[in-house]
Amino acid sequence: MRVGVRRRVRAILLGAVGVLYLVSIPWYRAPGSEAPIAFGLPSWVAVALGCYLAVAVLNAAAWLLTDVPDESADEPDAGES
Amino acid sequence: MSFGELGTGALIVYLIGLAGVAELARRLRRDGSASDHFLASRDLGVFVLFLTLYATAYSGNSLLGYPGEAYRRGFSWIMATGFMMSIIVCFHILVPKLRPLAVRHRFVTPGDFVRFRFAGEPGADALRAAVAVLMAVALANFLFAQLKAMGEMAELVTDGIVTYELGVVVLAAMILVYETLGGMRAVAWTDAAQGVLMLVGLAALGTWLLVAAGGLEALTTSIRDVREEATFVPLATEQANWASTIVLLGLASIIYPQAIQRVYAARDGRTLKRSFALMTFMPLTTTLVVTLIGLAAIPRFAGLGEVEADRVMPLLLGEWAEVGPLYAAAAIAVFLGALAAIMSTADSVLLSLGSLLADDLLRGSDGQAAGADLGKKIAAGIMVAMVVVAMAARDVTLWGLIELKMELLIQCVPVFLVALHWRGLRARPALAGIAVGTAIAVAGLVFDAKRIGGVHIGVIGLCANLAVACVASRLSAYRPDSRSPV
Repeated sequence: MRVGVRRRVRAILLGAVGVLYLVSIPWYRAPGSEAPIAFGLPSWVAVALGCYLAVAVLNAAAWLLTDVPDESADEPDAGES
Repeated sequence: MSFGELGTGALIVYLIGLAGVAELARRLRRDGSASDHFLASRDLGVFVLFLTLYATAYSGNSLLGYPGEAYRRGFSWIMATGFMMSIIVCFHILVPKLRPLAVRHRFVTPGDFVRFRFAGEPGADALRAAVAVLMAVALANFLFAQLKAMGEMAELVTDGIVTYELGVVVLAAMILVYETLGGMRAVAWTDAAQGVLMLVGLAALGTWLLVAAGGLEALTTSIRDVREEATFVPLATEQANWASTIVLLGLASIIYPQAIQRVYAARDGRTLKRSFALMTFMPLTTTLVVTLIGLAAIPRFAGLGEVEADRVMPLLLGEWAEVGPLYAAAAIAVFLGALAAIMSTADSVLLSLGSLLADDLLRGSDGQAAGADLGKKIAAGIMVAMVVVAMAARDVTLWGLIELKMELLIQCVPVFLVALHWRGLRARPALAGIAVGTAIAVAGLVFDAKRIGGVHIGVIGLCANLAVACVASRLSAYRPDSRSPV
C-alpha cells in the first residue's frame, strides 16, 4: 500500500475509534433507567463492550499501518520554532 | 498438605526461579552502562516487548483494584475495558514522533527528551526538574500500591503462614536483588514469564466463575436481584466520570516513565508497532475478565466495605480452592500469576524511578550521565522507604491511589505530547502550565474536590495547563537560535 493511502486509511481508522468511544458511553439513554438484557448483559453494557471490541480491531489495524521510523527524518520538530 | 502450605511451597519455588533468571541476566549483560542496565541494550524483540508491556500495564491495581471497583460500582465499570484500551490508542500520539528521536539521540530517561527538546532555552533545567519530580511522586505512589498488593497476596496465598508485613519485606528484597543484578533484561524476562502466568490464570478463573454462575445472563440476573442499581444506566455524573477516566488514564499512562523507556528499549520500530497491535486486545482478555470477577462477587459477598472490596479476587480464589485439590492447585497458579504481575510492575517502576532520579534530577543539562550504579543505590533507598510506608498505611483503596498518581502525572502531557507535535511550545510557558495544572490538581485533592460534575480535577488542571502553556508560548518573545544543535 502506498504511503499516502496508508496514512489516509490510518486516519480514518483512528477517527472511527473516536466515534466508537463516544457511542460506548450511554449518554443517549435516560440516566438511572433500567435496561433490557442483551447478549446476557444489560443492553448499554453490551453496546459498550461491542464498541470496545471494534476499537481493538480498528486500533490494531491502525498500528499495523503506522510508520515508526528508526531514523529521525524531521529533526527540526524538536527544538526549533 | 493444607492450602497454605501448598501456597508457601509454590511461593518459595517461584522466588528461587526468579533468582535464577536474575543471575542469568547478570551473566549475559554486555557492559555496565546505563543503556545496558536500564534499556537492555535496546534489543527487546516482539514477544518479550509485548509481554513486558503487558505485565507492566496490568499490575496489582488491575488485579486487586479493578475487581474491587467493579464490586463497588457495578456494570458501569465496563468503562475499565475502554480506558485500558485508550492507552494503546493514545500511544499513536507519542510513539511515531518520539521513537526516531530516541534512537538517534540515545535517550535513556524521559528527561533526556525534555533536555533535547528545550535545549538552551531559559527555564529548561527547571522544566526538566519539575517533570522529574512529578514523575517520581507518581512512581513512588505506584510502588507503594504494588507493595501493599504484594503483601496482601502473599498473606492470602500462604493462608497467613507469611504475614502481610513479612510478605512486603521479602518480596521487596527479592525485587531489589533481581533488578539490581539483571536490570531491564531480567525485568523484561521475568515480565514475560509473569505475563503468561497471569493470562492463563485469569482465563481459567473467569471460565470457572461463568460456569459456576450458570452463564452470563444468570450472573446478570443474580446481580440485579441483589443490587438492582448496579445494572441501571449510569447517572450523568458517572457518565462524565467515564469520559474523564478515558482521558485521564489514556493520556497519563502513556507518559509513565517505564512506558516511555519501553518505547526506547524496543529493537526497532516494526517490533514496537506489532507489540502495540497485540496489546490493544489485552484489555479484553484481562480488564474485562477482572471486571467480571468483581461483578461475580456482588451476589457472592454482600456488604463488603470500601477497603475490603479490594479483596474480592482473593476471596473468590479461596472459594475456588475449596472445590477440590485440582482447583486448589489452579487457584495457587492464579495467585502466583497475580503476585507475579504485581512484582513485574513494581520492578519496572523501581527501575524507572532509579534512572529518573539519577539521570533527570541529579544530572545537570550538560553533565555526565549518572550511570547505572547511582540509579541502583537510589532505587534501593526508595524501596526501603516505600516498604516502611506500605507497612504503616495498609487501609487505602488501590483505585484511590491510581487516581491520585494520574492526576499529577497528566500535568506532564504538554511537555511530551504538545512538544512533539508543535514546535512553538517554549520551556518557561510549559513550566508555568505545569505549575498551574498541578496547583489545581493538588488543591482539589487537599480540599476534597477530586471531581467536579464527575470530571477529574487533574483533567480540569490539564485544560488550564494546556491553555497557559500554549497561549504564553505564542506570546513568548524567545526564539531558539537556528544554529542550535536541535
